[in-house]
Amino acid sequence: MSVAELDQDRTSTLLPRLYAGIAILVFWEIVVRAFAPPYVATPLGIALAVPHVITDRTFLVGGAITLAAVAEGLIIALVFGTVLGLVIGQSKVADRALRQYINAGYTLPMVVVLPLVSLWFGYTGAARLATVVFAALFSITVNVADGARSVPQEYLEVARSFRSRSWRALFEIVLPAATPYFLAGLRLAAGRALIGAVVAEFFTAIPGLGYFILFNSRTFHHNEAFVAVLLLAAFGVGFDMLVSWVTHRYLPWYRRDEIPG
Amino acid sequence: MKRAMNRWRDAAARFAPPVLSFIAGVVAWELVGRHTNAAFLVPLSETLDRLWELSQSGELWEQLASSLAIFVVGFVLALIVGAPGGMLLARVAVLRRALDVYITIAYATPLVALIPFILSLMGFGFAPKVLVVFLFAVFPVLYNTVEGARSLKPELVEVAHSFRSSEWALWREVMVPYTLPFTMTGVRQAIGRALVGMIAAEFFLSSTGLGQLIMSASQNFDTAGVLAAILVIMVLGLVLMRIGRAIELHFARWRV
Repeated sequence: MSVAELDQDRTSTLLPRLYAGIAILVFWEIVVRAFAPPYVATPLGIALAVPHVITDRTFLVGGAITLAAVAEGLIIALVFGTVLGLVIGQSKVADRALRQYINAGYTLPMVVVLPLVSLWFGYTGAARLATVVFAALFSITVNVADGARSVPQEYLEVARSFRSRSWRALFEIVLPAATPYFLAGLRLAAGRALIGAVVAEFFTAIPGLGYFILFNSRTFHHNEAFVAVLLLAAFGVGFDMLVSWVTHRYLPWYRRDEIPG
Repeated sequence: MKRAMNRWRDAAARFAPPVLSFIAGVVAWELVGRHTNAAFLVPLSETLDRLWELSQSGELWEQLASSLAIFVVGFVLALIVGAPGGMLLARVAVLRRALDVYITIAYATPLVALIPFILSLMGFGFAPKVLVVFLFAVFPVLYNTVEGARSLKPELVEVAHSFRSSEWALWREVMVPYTLPFTMTGVRQAIGRALVGMIAAEFFLSSTGLGQLIMSASQNFDTAGVLAAILVIMVLGLVLMRIGRAIELHFARWRV
């Protein structure tokens, strides 16, 4: 494809996108103004709310707290999930013994653990952290296990024939092979972790971005609350893009469609 | 003789770990439950007793039916909108180029964050809960259908056109059969998300169904009731997942 063609392709995507975006916003604005109560969020109202929301202390502190909790929970889930995933992927016995628990944890809707977690940890940040870890742990475990299983056995046999130490085989064969799966799991986990933090704040009413949304929508400040939703969406999309970029940049030989998840 | 021994050993290697670890889990739950404060954890036996009570009184079945009604209606709506919508997007290139970025954004947005808005707009009834399940389920169906229909080989459409196939025939003979397996992958993903949406709606809108079972138990410090309800939801989740995977596999057979 020539550069000119590429440019043409780009504009032929950009313009419809732009028009569609404008159409969606105009439609939203008109429908809400015509049919909904005045406190309901509209694009204009949200845009006007942005300046005073992003200078609002509760919003900034809440955003920082929530994102910090998500990051902390993700790191904990990464460490335990990777270790657990490697064990399950490498050992058939561990796989057979633990799979039922992993599957149960993976399919259990994370919202369900909220009453239990708040019972155990109280209505505190610890309950949120526990929810985030629970939300993120299993998608990482499952993906890392898939990755570790995908290592060609011949590679490990060659390593063994050359009397390579098992930790070297782990770090130089198994881990690199599992990396794209790990990244796919991380992408899933980050989305789930964010949801976990928000629902935990809804449930326990502890300060954070989720609680900011809950409080403002209850006091009929929908425009303000929606700014927080946009931040959450931006965080979700941004993390997705970051992981795809890392995959393309550092693991260009993996096409995205070959990775599960 | 030796072969029989080997077969027996294989079976043992396959079934011993899950069975033993299951028993270990059950025993651990029972023992830990007996030695902790009842406000934190109760033994498995007590949980199962409570589950039996809930089932005998009919409360469990009533709430399960109420939850499933929300799930099924929301899910079917998501399918009705998602699958044809996805194919339409794939067939009309302009539409797809115009909308794909917004679908991706909607897919990546934590939809639970919209529940407070839905609450103050639509209140406590059946419809807002169905809307939550619909929103959770529709994007995986839509997304996978578009991806599937996009990977449809242009040659197939060209051949259909050269044989003067009508648009209707093109859809019936090429688009739908080709795309359906991908849609079913979306259906499998959507089942899990719809389940989350169902419980979230029952928690954060108004308490009904299985969500209410958990909520009222936790408000009464009835730990056995909470755990019993969680067990039910876990089993429900596993069953629904199994169904989803079976549907996906069934349609995967015609994947080309």
